[in-house]
Amino acid sequence: MNYESISYKVFKTCNIILLFLIVVAMIFPYVNVLAYAFNDALDSQLGGITLFPRVWTLDNFKVLIANREIINATGVSILRVVFGTLFALVIQFTSAYAFTIKGLRGKTAILMFLMIPMYFGGGLIPVYLLYSKMHMLNNFLVYVLPVSFSLYNMVIIRSYLYSIPDSLGESARIDGANDFTIMWKIYVPLSMPILAVMSLWTAVSNWNDWTTTLYFITDHKLYTLQFILMQILKEGERIAKLVEEALIAGRALDMGGQPSITPQAIRYAEIILTTLPIVIVYPFLQKYFVNGITLGAVKE
Amino acid sequence: MQTKINIVNLQIKNKKNSNSFKKNYFAYMLMLPAIVLTFIFAYLPMPGILAAFQDYNIFKGLLDSPWVGMKHIKEIFQIPLMWGSIINTVKLSVLTIVVSFPAPIILALMINEVKNGIYKRTVQTLSYLPHFLSWIAVVGLTYSFLDQYGPLNDLLILVFGVDTERAMFLSKQEIFVPVLLILSVWKEIGWGTIVYLAAITSIDPMLYEAAYIDGANRFKQHYYITLPGMKQTTVLLLIFTLGSLFGSNFELVYGMQNAFIDFDVISTVVYSSGIQQGNYSMAAAIGFTQGLVAFLLTFFANQISKKVSQISIW
Repeated sequence: MNYESISYKVFKTCNIILLFLIVVAMIFPYVNVLAYAFNDALDSQLGGITLFPRVWTLDNFKVLIANREIINATGVSILRVVFGTLFALVIQFTSAYAFTIKGLRGKTAILMFLMIPMYFGGGLIPVYLLYSKMHMLNNFLVYVLPVSFSLYNMVIIRSYLYSIPDSLGESARIDGANDFTIMWKIYVPLSMPILAVMSLWTAVSNWNDWTTTLYFITDHKLYTLQFILMQILKEGERIAKLVEEALIAGRALDMGGQPSITPQAIRYAEIILTTLPIVIVYPFLQKYFVNGITLGAVKE
Repeated sequence: MQTKINIVNLQIKNKKNSNSFKKNYFAYMLMLPAIVLTFIFAYLPMPGILAAFQDYNIFKGLLDSPWVGMKHIKEIFQIPLMWGSIINTVKLSVLTIVVSFPAPIILALMINEVKNGIYKRTVQTLSYLPHFLSWIAVVGLTYSFLDQYGPLNDLLILVFGVDTERAMFLSKQEIFVPVLLILSVWKEIGWGTIVYLAAITSIDPMLYEAAYIDGANRFKQHYYITLPGMKQTTVLLLIFTLGSLFGSNFELVYGMQNAFIDFDVISTVVYSSGIQQGNYSMAAAIGFTQGLVAFLLTFFANQISKKVSQISIW
């Protein structure tokens, strides 16, 4: 394929330029907010900031981080990510493993049972009514339990497990290993790549979720960072309260005793605060994030 | 001698049986948590749909609330907010599919044309990033981007001169839906390419060589080889997307709504009238309608696809 027509060369160049523009469109909004978040609040009101802060400062973050509710919400977010991910991984791995065991009776029926809710569901209101009966409203468990089993993830783990040869388990059995030992000592270590992918996906979706809080939580102590971001974006009172608290505590005053913080600056800083954990780990774990799709889903 | 062998055989058989029972017992125990959780959180809410056919009272519960039959389902079609939300959901969903379904296919084809490995990988990596941000963070970025003193207004002033008035994009009703569409594409286009690129990679390169020898140019090669090679993936994804057609993205629409915007979809109405105002029966009724239509759409899409292309999810 050495021969390349001129029109193809033109196309190739245009293609590369267009892709560059697409990438710029993908990351510019984020870089811009990042620049604003580290820019002096009063200076930001003039606009005109593109890639770098004009008047560098950490004050916007200091105001946020000193706020008691933000600290608490960060704690809740971290706790739900840790427990939610661990719990989900155990449930999904054990059930996926069980499905790979040969000669298991009722496998198809159980799979059907797990699959039906993907297509039929009660919708939000029946779930809400049930949770209120079960005392799951304003309960930390609502963050962990309902989302812990995902059929989609289980199927991906299962197809990965199928790629591990049976002979490994069989030879361990001959050496006297019991069922649990075989799973724990042979299959779990061999499944590390897929487990890494699944824990990343689950952790990210737990971290990013805010609708659970919106629907089922009214207790301020159980608010998450993402939920507070939603309030900051949508509720004027919320952001006014944050500014006011910072002013009362004397944290956001300039030399002349004038306020040095604006609602917009708090908004920028909060967006960065909620997304930074992901953006920081993303370049290092990018490979694992993507692997899952090719490890499991496509093989089917 | 004969009997002895038989006994040995019998013993082996027995051992096998008990072994497989023990094995099964272990497997069932492993599955139990998944089954119990699915039962509690996916099956137990199902009877709650009946609230749609009652004047549900949270203190009386499902058993004692009075039955009213189709009253609430009929009401959906009488209250403008409800009816309007259904129309908006259909409108938004159809537009979203038309715009955001082909987008990753086109991007995948474009990425596939890049021969420089480093450039290709950089493009891919950066385009996946928005997928990992939460919808509310994406809404936050949008608020900042479209701000009166945000970059878009800065750009417009740069292009059209200093006299240009700074626009308040977020409160403009007429651009609300286009913004939603752009955001849906922006967030998922990169991530969507992964499956298609995997499908392209799995196409036998010999096909291209043969086509080249037969005189097919690059464009024709894609038309006759790449696109058919992606067909299976595309159809499966399309069926799944059709199922979620009626789901409408609550996080995005709710996030972008503000006092100046009059645009509701089914899911935002379910939230505001059900959970915020305690109008459970009404909200359950409209949620039920949504679920039913979503299921029927998946079902028929699957049926049609089975007939037309022999590809199906069931």
